[in-house]
Amino acid sequence: MQAQQVQQFFVRYKIIALLLAVAAIWIFFHIGTDGDFITPRNVANLLRQMSITGMLACGMVFIIISGEIDLSVGSLSGLLGGVVAILTVNMHWGTPAAIAAALVVGLGIGLFNGFWVTKLRVPSFIVGLGGMLAFRGILLGITHSATIAPVPDDLIYLGQGLVPIGLSRVLGGVIFLLLLAITVMRRRRRNKLELKQMPVWMDVVKLVVIGAVIIGSLRMLNDAGGVPVPVMILLGLLGIFSYISTQTVFGRHIYAVGGNMEATRLSGVNVARVKLAVFAMMGVMCAFAGVINTARLAAGSPSAGTSGELDAIAACFIGGTSMRGGSGTVHGALIGALVMASLDNGMSMMDVDTFWQMIVKGSILVLAVWVDVLSGSNRG
Amino acid sequence: MSEYLFEMRNIVKEFSGVRALNGVSLAVRPGECVGLCGENGAGKSTLMKVLSGVYPYGSFEGEILWEGQPLKAYSVRDSEKAGIVIIHQELMLVPQLSVAENIFLGNEITKPGGRMDYDAMYRQADALLARLKLKGVNVAAPVMNYGGGYQQLFEIAKALAKNARLLILDEPSSSLTSSEIDVLLSIIEDLKREGVACVYISHKLEEVAKVCDTVTVIRDGEHVATKPMAELNTDGIIAMMVGREIKNLYPRSEHAIGEVIFEARHVTCWDITNTSRKRVDDVSFELRKGEILGVAGLVGAGRTELVSAIFGAYAGKSTAELFMDGKPIKVKTPEQAIRAGLSLVPEDRKRQGIVPMLGVGDNITLATLQHYSHGGHIDKNAELATVDREIKRLRVKTASPALAIAGLSGGNQQKAVLTKMLLPAPKVLILDEPTRGVDVGSKYDIYQLMFELAAKGVSIIMVSSELSEVLGVSDRVLVIGEGHLRGDFVNKDLTQERVLAAAIDAKPQAA
Repeated sequence: MQAQQVQQFFVRYKIIALLLAVAAIWIFFHIGTDGDFITPRNVANLLRQMSITGMLACGMVFIIISGEIDLSVGSLSGLLGGVVAILTVNMHWGTPAAIAAALVVGLGIGLFNGFWVTKLRVPSFIVGLGGMLAFRGILLGITHSATIAPVPDDLIYLGQGLVPIGLSRVLGGVIFLLLLAITVMRRRRRNKLELKQMPVWMDVVKLVVIGAVIIGSLRMLNDAGGVPVPVMILLGLLGIFSYISTQTVFGRHIYAVGGNMEATRLSGVNVARVKLAVFAMMGVMCAFAGVINTARLAAGSPSAGTSGELDAIAACFIGGTSMRGGSGTVHGALIGALVMASLDNGMSMMDVDTFWQMIVKGSILVLAVWVDVLSGSNRG
Repeated sequence: MSEYLFEMRNIVKEFSGVRALNGVSLAVRPGECVGLCGENGAGKSTLMKVLSGVYPYGSFEGEILWEGQPLKAYSVRDSEKAGIVIIHQELMLVPQLSVAENIFLGNEITKPGGRMDYDAMYRQADALLARLKLKGVNVAAPVMNYGGGYQQLFEIAKALAKNARLLILDEPSSSLTSSEIDVLLSIIEDLKREGVACVYISHKLEEVAKVCDTVTVIRDGEHVATKPMAELNTDGIIAMMVGREIKNLYPRSEHAIGEVIFEARHVTCWDITNTSRKRVDDVSFELRKGEILGVAGLVGAGRTELVSAIFGAYAGKSTAELFMDGKPIKVKTPEQAIRAGLSLVPEDRKRQGIVPMLGVGDNITLATLQHYSHGGHIDKNAELATVDREIKRLRVKTASPALAIAGLSGGNQQKAVLTKMLLPAPKVLILDEPTRGVDVGSKYDIYQLMFELAAKGVSIIMVSSELSEVLGVSDRVLVIGEGHLRGDFVNKDLTQERVLAAAIDAKPQAA
């Protein structure tokens, strides 16, 4: 009975189980690296690494919830990163204009992918597979398979820069107050409608823990000089995507389309338009990831973003997104991305051979999904 | 040796503290057909799972005896070995495999080395089908070449191939036409004479009355009664099932019928795969304000296609001229249909009605989210207020509106889907088989709702395969046969025989 209760608890609060898994991984690496893993410098580095997979995972989680898949995102983010490098280095565009161009191209290609899936009814797996090859090919073509450098400093700042300490404190405070307000409003609403409430102490504990995490991580990152810019961008995206998924008509429609497309269509929802929008957003997220990657490397590389789609998809599944569509969360996917990045970072620090890294990451993915299936949350 | 082939005594089955079955008993003599009746959620499926070994021996309390000896089945295979075979409501056939391959699936006749002995299987499959008096079936052809009625009989052949001595039929007639049902019932009679026993689970009490010798009724997991059919009639069974007497299943109330509000002209649908074949051929009809129009016909006559086309949801090519309040409307998608004042509650609740993983509330508001949102942002207060009100109004039984709808019983799911499609405030409500797989209590609620709506001036088109329902509810009845309009009757002194005759007869009739 006890074991069953523990299991039920984790099914309900999957997020806690995930965070415990991350903690276990971190402690393991901390011991394995003789105390070098959980240091301000390394955590900052780890989060920076995670942010690119995280941006792709933000878009991917919507794609998977809507019942589709997109295998082209690694190549596409590489291509868009290459476009930014070419525009700034070879064509001497300003950074803002180049980024805007990448976002527009990303949006366009996302719509193009979505058009093939929804209007021409080619399975998204195939459209993605085709895109994966074709976009990489275009990237190799336009860069002549050579690295393009050096990109301008204001672009590099987006990848390598740090948010000023004062500003990040203010932002941290704002995020906390926002969560506080959301919690209070939810309690009020549930009260008014006489719905079951979480006990007050649970909400308080939740907020205290979140507050402690915000203060703790700010302190730690500020010790390393500040919060890395890409991490702050990712946090912003987390907020936007969580808002879309839980508070908007469009978000609800994504879940409904993935849960039962026919029922949703018969309810008068334009399911093709929902999917088209999801693919378009994926394209924009590829632009984000590509730009940040180019900025982080300070160069456009023809191999940028290779296997980025696999990391993003793995992040979604580790984060509890249902393979059949219809359920999943943005924050779950981002914690999944954190798991993947932690494994990469920790194993590199421990000088584990690349081949072992691949074996371990692959095994963790399968294990994580197996645990998810065991917990019964993905059944039915 | 006991007089019974099979006996279950005082079965108690609990799920995390909730008693799904509380002392249910069931006994079957050789060659006897026992009807098992109960509302949805009464515990019929749980009992069947205990019976067929899905819940292994030891996971429930009580005794199971097979020919007087205790039966300890740890899996479905164990109970099949004893001779108990269950035929599920949803047919478990692989459409692409041949008839013979399906009949022997998991039970193949092999030659050394695991090679399939097709000759032997074809021969035996032929013999089994002959026993079922089924002629003209090519056992080497894929199952998908044959219709639902045949497929049901293939399932029985499959059970007989396993030497079934006790057949459990779970809602076997839910997708059959009335003539196919007659064939099925006569085959059960034959099997009874051969000594094969049956447990017949069905909501269709006329069938139970026809084929069963004994009836066992359960309600809320409790054993209500076991009586010989001779002492019962369908009203008596209903009274035992619901625990209260429903005097009149169709609570007709007088409602005023107004002017013509909706008109469909020249509705034609072409088959999806065979695009030269017309599934619906030039059907036209009118609908008045506050009128309930029943659409009757045999399964496959084109009724679902007709209403899908009107709602802009038909998957293949279709054409139609539609008029609302005398003005032409353009309906190419369900989105446009809803905007024009049409709503459709589809036939297949699981596939087309519910989004299983979403909450009951989210399902209910799916068609009207824009009513509770500003600039794409959902006002969850307004949404939940609506959901709460509707759940109370339609008596949807759910612990919380946030609960996934998949966990609700069929009747409650249907009410939720109905609510969803009523929230856009349609002028014309189309119901496709609104009470299929729904328990008697919920059925009554749904009929009552239909009459209330009609009294408020909503016009209703109801497609139904149950003739008693069509006649009990409709003001007017359309009969569709092989894609053609075969009759348009005012429901006055109309009999089931006349409707059926029109559905089968090729000559158009008018009243």
